[in-house]
Amino acid sequence: MTSDSTTDVLLEARGISKSFPGVQALSRVDLDVRKGEVHALLGENGAGKSTLMHILAGVFSPDEGTIRMAGREVCFHDARAAQEAGVAMVFQERSLAAPLSVAENVFFGRQAVRRWGIIDRAKLHEQTRKILDDLGIAIDPATPLEHLSPAQQQMVEIAKALSLDACLLVLDEPTSTLTETETAVLFRVIERLKQRGVGIIYISHRMGEVFQICDRMTVLRDGVCQGTFAKEEVTQDELISRMVGRKSGFNRPARKRGHSTFSPAPENHPAEQAKEKRVECPLSFGEGSSALAVRDLNDGRLLQDISFVARAGEITAFAGLAGSGRTELAMSVFGARPTISGTILVHGQPVKIRSPIEAIEAGVGYLPEDRKEAGLFLEMSVAANVTAASLNRFGDWWLNDKAMERQTAAMASRMCLTADIRGRKVQELSGGNQQKVILARWLLVHPPILIADEPTRGIDVGAKQEVHQLLRELADEGTAVILISSELPEILAVADRILVMREGRLVGEMPRDGATEESIMRLAAILK
Amino acid sequence: MTMNEREPTQAIDAASTVALPRWRLSLWSYVTRETVLVALTLAAIVGASLVYPTSFPTFRNFSTLLRNMATDGVMACGMVVLLVSGMFDLSVGSMFSMAGVLTGWLLTRAQFPAPLAILAGLSIAALGGALNGWIVAKVRVNALIATLGTMQIFRGIAVLVGGPGIANLPSSFARWGQAQWLGLQSPVWLMLMVAVAGQFLMAKSRFFRRYYYIGANAKAANLSGIPVDRMLILAFTLMGLLAGLAGMAFASRMATANSTAGDGAELRIITAVILGGASLQGGRGTVWGTLVGVFFISLINNVMIFARLSPEWQSIVIGMVLVLAVAMDRFLSRRV
Repeated sequence: MTSDSTTDVLLEARGISKSFPGVQALSRVDLDVRKGEVHALLGENGAGKSTLMHILAGVFSPDEGTIRMAGREVCFHDARAAQEAGVAMVFQERSLAAPLSVAENVFFGRQAVRRWGIIDRAKLHEQTRKILDDLGIAIDPATPLEHLSPAQQQMVEIAKALSLDACLLVLDEPTSTLTETETAVLFRVIERLKQRGVGIIYISHRMGEVFQICDRMTVLRDGVCQGTFAKEEVTQDELISRMVGRKSGFNRPARKRGHSTFSPAPENHPAEQAKEKRVECPLSFGEGSSALAVRDLNDGRLLQDISFVARAGEITAFAGLAGSGRTELAMSVFGARPTISGTILVHGQPVKIRSPIEAIEAGVGYLPEDRKEAGLFLEMSVAANVTAASLNRFGDWWLNDKAMERQTAAMASRMCLTADIRGRKVQELSGGNQQKVILARWLLVHPPILIADEPTRGIDVGAKQEVHQLLRELADEGTAVILISSELPEILAVADRILVMREGRLVGEMPRDGATEESIMRLAAILK
Repeated sequence: MTMNEREPTQAIDAASTVALPRWRLSLWSYVTRETVLVALTLAAIVGASLVYPTSFPTFRNFSTLLRNMATDGVMACGMVVLLVSGMFDLSVGSMFSMAGVLTGWLLTRAQFPAPLAILAGLSIAALGGALNGWIVAKVRVNALIATLGTMQIFRGIAVLVGGPGIANLPSSFARWGQAQWLGLQSPVWLMLMVAVAGQFLMAKSRFFRRYYYIGANAKAANLSGIPVDRMLILAFTLMGLLAGLAGMAFASRMATANSTAGDGAELRIITAVILGGASLQGGRGTVWGTLVGVFFISLINNVMIFARLSPEWQSIVIGMVLVLAVAMDRFLSRRV
């Protein structure tokens, strides 16, 4: 630690801890920010950065620890209290009203008024212009916000923070959507803010940028502070090695050979048995053949010239930081996102995939990243959720609900989904069990290629281990499993081969042996 | 219920024979909008029978009541499919009269034979429905705006083609709607057929089950390989077809195609479907519940006439029941 507590300390957070059910998000984290300083907060996805920022913004309250602003102890009960104390956040998702003007957005709900609450438009525009001029930004206050570029909108957000007399500004990945020139403008604004004595917490994955603009850096890993460094006293490599090396607690799932766990359940009724057998594990192929090959995939926005193969019997993992395009790639391969060029081959045959239906027909399954938003039918029963993607197995015209429930129960027992699921809605289950329900849906479809996007996000360690085991068993049965994960220990524990993405490009491939968190991170982070 | 991995089938059989503590889950789980509606309907029937013992509980009265609900009932069967998928259609009332008027025009001005005119009328109605579906699913205009627009377009076409209406439709057409069997008029039989078929299809068929998935989570449905857009277009097409069928039955029964017929039907039908257990959020709803909803509205109307109350009372009572029923739902879902 290089900070000696001088009077110019703006924010002083000491011993901040916060836990959520099943996870210690932060433990005894210290952070101090001085006046006129840009302080980088670094860490992998899930290291605790956003939890810490949400605590500073008054969204969460810490379990323990103290926060001092300009030497005075504060306690933020809600976002408003934090705002009044001078903390302002500029998040990745913008919190502005698109159809309203710049001025209306800057003075959101606090517009200057004349008598009877009539908005004083002239004064409003004048105040806004003054703030924008101070920042050195030329935007007409009357412009509707939706006409501005993302970069300009971000400036408006910063202006809004300043109109609230913010003395501490949190910028969360501010350059992720900006071009190089826009970034330069942003950095000029940041310089001006520094001169005015505003303290800035700067969250970014881009190392080059961090070294360019920041004065000090604090590294978080697994919710624990790994130290604060002045720019001059560290190198990029040192920072990266502090960011990685998380406790994994994952054991590598054991391989089982020649033992099929996930073919459909044995049935008592011969007629149904015949019916349901039809689609049982349709293809078998030797290990090592390429089940899925993607060539030169472009989407015209983020993904650029992506080519890779996924082999049967292997778990191919995609590593990368948030926003690197892994989910977009998965959605594109699955037909849920348009592409402008590229070829997809399944078992060597070129296939046209323009919709999820065509993807499933071609033999690709996709376990979505956000299970509540894109995966589950929360108000429906477990059986309805498990059978959602394979309704055609339960009758051509009329559905056999009994068979659906039997299959679900059989699937549940195989997956150690121990909760009582009969007649229960999915929303009543725990996160881990919900994830197993979606996994069960795809095990029932049994596609030769399965993409699992963050299959263990937000579930407890025991359930994670079980999901890993299931993925491994699937691979052993001949499925080409593609795993997308933001947890490097998970990738190292589960994957056979690791592909690394950065800013919409595939930047590296490595076998599991020899890959380390550090080597993956080095590829994934933006170094200049 | 823990299951042994080696004996899954046994475990499942055991589980299915053991009565799970459903009852203990509470009687509250039986208090749904459907059951409350059935209870209210029975109460109204018993009450009215006690007050008007000679005139209310008669076959004649009930056949009138059923006849009055027939066209709404047919349309409600289409509407419930839309509500289950999280959609609705405001243009059904206009479609109802437009189909009748266009068929009437073909019969009288163009001298089409009745079967051909009916076929043409139904095709136009189905096309109109498909247009709604296309605007909603492909152009991605929300259902409220899209069908609010087409509602006025269809009504405009009906008035443009038919003026106030087309009377004296030929008997080759009118006899269909005026036929009787077992003392019930043909529109009632049409409703019963559509309802029985609809109940089975919605409850049991693979095709219609997908609408429940779409309504519960359209994004997840799409990612599970359900062709959401195509399914929605088909649902709107079906709605158009049923509205056309109802309009045809009505014009035929009256031997007149009225350009203002079906005015306000859309909200009455949506009310009935929601009373019957569906929700605007989608994912819920049954055909039988819907039919009870339509029957309930028709029943209240009928009782009001017996009580010699002005028709405004009908709106007041139906409106209150609707708000209370949905409020009760909120209350119940919070206590679970």
